[in-house]
Amino acid sequence: MGGQTARIARFIGVRLAVSAPVILGIVFLTFMLIRMGGQDPVAMLAGPMADEAMLNALRAQLQLDQPLLAQFANYMVRIAHGDLGVSWQGGIPVLNEIRHLFPATLELVLLSVALAALIGIPIGMRAATKPNGWFDQISRFVSLAGFSMPTYWMGLMAILVFFYILRWAPAPMGRLSMEVAAPAVVTGSILVDALLEANWRAMGSALAHLALPVACFTMLAAAPMIKQTRAIVIEIMGSDYVRYARANGFSAATVRRMALRNAATPLLTFLGSELTSLLAAAALIEYIFSLSGLGQWGLNAILLGDFAVVQGYVLTLALFSMAIFMVIDLIVMLIEPRN
Amino acid sequence: MAQEKTLVMAMSATPKGFDPDIWVPGQIEAAVNLYEGLTKYGTRSGANGKVEVDPSKIEPHLAESWTVSPDGKTYVFKLKRGVRSPFGNELTAQDIVWTYEKSALQKRTGQFMRTAARIEKVEAVSKYEVRYTLSDANRIFLGALTLHLPAIFDASEAKKHATPDDPYATKWLALNTAGYGPYHLQALQAGQQAVFVVNPNYAFKKPYYTKMIWREVPSPATRVALVRTGQVQYAEQIPFQQLTALRADNTVKVESVPGFGGATVRMNPRFPPFDKVKVRQAVAYATDYAAIGEAVFLGQGTRSRSMLNSPIAGAVNAYKYETDYNKAKQLLAEAGYPNGVDVTLEYSTNWWWEEPLVLQMQASLAKAGIRVTPKRIPSTEMLARRTINVWTVPFLTHLTSSFVPDPSYNMFLTAHCRGSSNVNANCDAAMDKLIDASVVERDQKRWLALIEQAQNLQADSATFIETFLPGTHEVFAACMKGYVWKPHNRLVWKDLSCNS
Repeated sequence: MGGQTARIARFIGVRLAVSAPVILGIVFLTFMLIRMGGQDPVAMLAGPMADEAMLNALRAQLQLDQPLLAQFANYMVRIAHGDLGVSWQGGIPVLNEIRHLFPATLELVLLSVALAALIGIPIGMRAATKPNGWFDQISRFVSLAGFSMPTYWMGLMAILVFFYILRWAPAPMGRLSMEVAAPAVVTGSILVDALLEANWRAMGSALAHLALPVACFTMLAAAPMIKQTRAIVIEIMGSDYVRYARANGFSAATVRRMALRNAATPLLTFLGSELTSLLAAAALIEYIFSLSGLGQWGLNAILLGDFAVVQGYVLTLALFSMAIFMVIDLIVMLIEPRN
Repeated sequence: MAQEKTLVMAMSATPKGFDPDIWVPGQIEAAVNLYEGLTKYGTRSGANGKVEVDPSKIEPHLAESWTVSPDGKTYVFKLKRGVRSPFGNELTAQDIVWTYEKSALQKRTGQFMRTAARIEKVEAVSKYEVRYTLSDANRIFLGALTLHLPAIFDASEAKKHATPDDPYATKWLALNTAGYGPYHLQALQAGQQAVFVVNPNYAFKKPYYTKMIWREVPSPATRVALVRTGQVQYAEQIPFQQLTALRADNTVKVESVPGFGGATVRMNPRFPPFDKVKVRQAVAYATDYAAIGEAVFLGQGTRSRSMLNSPIAGAVNAYKYETDYNKAKQLLAEAGYPNGVDVTLEYSTNWWWEEPLVLQMQASLAKAGIRVTPKRIPSTEMLARRTINVWTVPFLTHLTSSFVPDPSYNMFLTAHCRGSSNVNANCDAAMDKLIDASVVERDQKRWLALIEQAQNLQADSATFIETFLPGTHEVFAACMKGYVWKPHNRLVWKDLSCNS
């Protein structure tokens, strides 16, 4: 037991040590790219009536008149003190905004990936048992449709059909209905916070508001999940040890169990990459359904050249991705007998 | 207790701040409903019987009257008594003085308005009297006082939130409100919604709506769906393409006003080939105005005929250019470009019409041998590069607009070498002289003559290609009434009510 704990601690230590320069590189690249991309928030912030003196004063106030490397050094010092800067749009600290918005995005992404896994893995496995059979053909068509439909379009169609025509879905205008009181903020996730205070009305409203965006995102996430699972399982079913097991007369169910166990490692890794890529893709779904999450906030900041917000947004995505892959690799290390 | 009436608005984003001195997205849309001026524009009955703003009539508002010295440089305003903020504090001359001190310290938009109106000094004469001293008598001053900036704050309340580092409570005022206007902020959830409630002490006619819920709905398509289903009573920034369908929908009401903001294409005479007036005029003749009206503005725009347009006083049909490719070719040849010329037209996405306008310009200018390469650049880059004294964009799209429908102010803003909306180095000594003279001219006849001369001079120089006034198109639930377009081009909530 002690050996296992030490192994985990060593693994985490090594991963953190390796991650640090990667994070530093991401911060540096983001910082430089946004500043060299021709964006200049000063003219926008000063307003349509600013003159040159006002622009210069504002540039100095935001420290944008300093050399780029000096600005970067200042930024790194602030990060080291837990200060991600302040959004120039309203002066709200970036870290506060991230704490406030990230739970909304996590709700959307985690529910979608969980549903996509629940749907995609069984379909992929079933399709792999009889490649080119009727079920496989249908599943390939479904996954192709999921791949081909743009998220934006899917979201708009969902609103048109389920909100505008059928009136089944609530107004795509936030995470809760206006007449429903929000639960006290504990985690920031309305679902979790409503559960904590047994506020079933808020829970129902939050679930209703998440239904369409999660359905759209699930379709997007399930398509590659079906394809990936099918490919992995077909490969495993054709492997020497499965053929050996079959030759030894093991039942089909036992063989499937063996295949699933061996497919777990690549599927888990794929799930991790799905989570991180969906987090980055959440912006569009949040935009269409007015979910006010991290993606919508980041997208808006990119368009308006809100440097501190863009940096905070990218840093959050990078840290989240690192954390997800670390957790997945840790699980793989623990379940993989060869490790 | 009066019944609460709530209006829900689908807005593209929640306001990022409320201090009119600091421009951030959504601020102006909120601030015009939170802060009001000492004066206001009068109204008149329009051509279709609807109430409209009369820019020639300036009436008392927070000030009940004023006197002006014979030289036109000193105004003393008598404040209306009993004007109270939601915090219960009464408006006094000290609030006005404090407001101007704050603007001077911040050196932002409020300070610009002060400069434009040539306000030298603001002093309290008594508790209810305030004196403005101007450096020059000018026509902009009273119009500028109709605005929400510099905002007249409840200084007593704001001072409670001041700190030694922030003596004018700018941090607090950025995210809170303390004014004498009809509404004030109750709650802000950034990215989700802002809730405004009526000022219970509002000194004028009580607004119909007691609560305004501003919901963030970034997708225009979603905003359309929401207003059509009655989930919201107002939806902002609806795409032009949707307006025709919405007009035919009896569940919504579309209010359209031409406004005076014009979609222009500008040439910077500091860059060749635009340093030659004949090239600029060739561009004006090679522009297919009819096609722009149909394809870009879908027949819903109004042709712009000058750098000034109605309802601005003194606007004349100075811009006489019509599409004439032969004339354009001839002018190009005379300018030394018999084989045509290659130019890059830069645009951003500040306004929805920019890209379609550029593509239409590319097609029509090609017919006269002007080969246009469209180049889309980020909005912030455009703003930075077109800024006064930077002026590094040779050929660009731009919306001519302002808050004050005064001809001198508008011309100064956009066509004077020191104008802050002069985006194309429009620096002509003769033009500057005419504009400067018009600002301080007090004789009506001579003033109108100067304005006309300036408009003609600008049209002759052809640094602006005047296309269309896109207009303002507001989309409401069918029951809504009372909408009156204001020169700041933002929705004024207190005017609205519902028939139901």
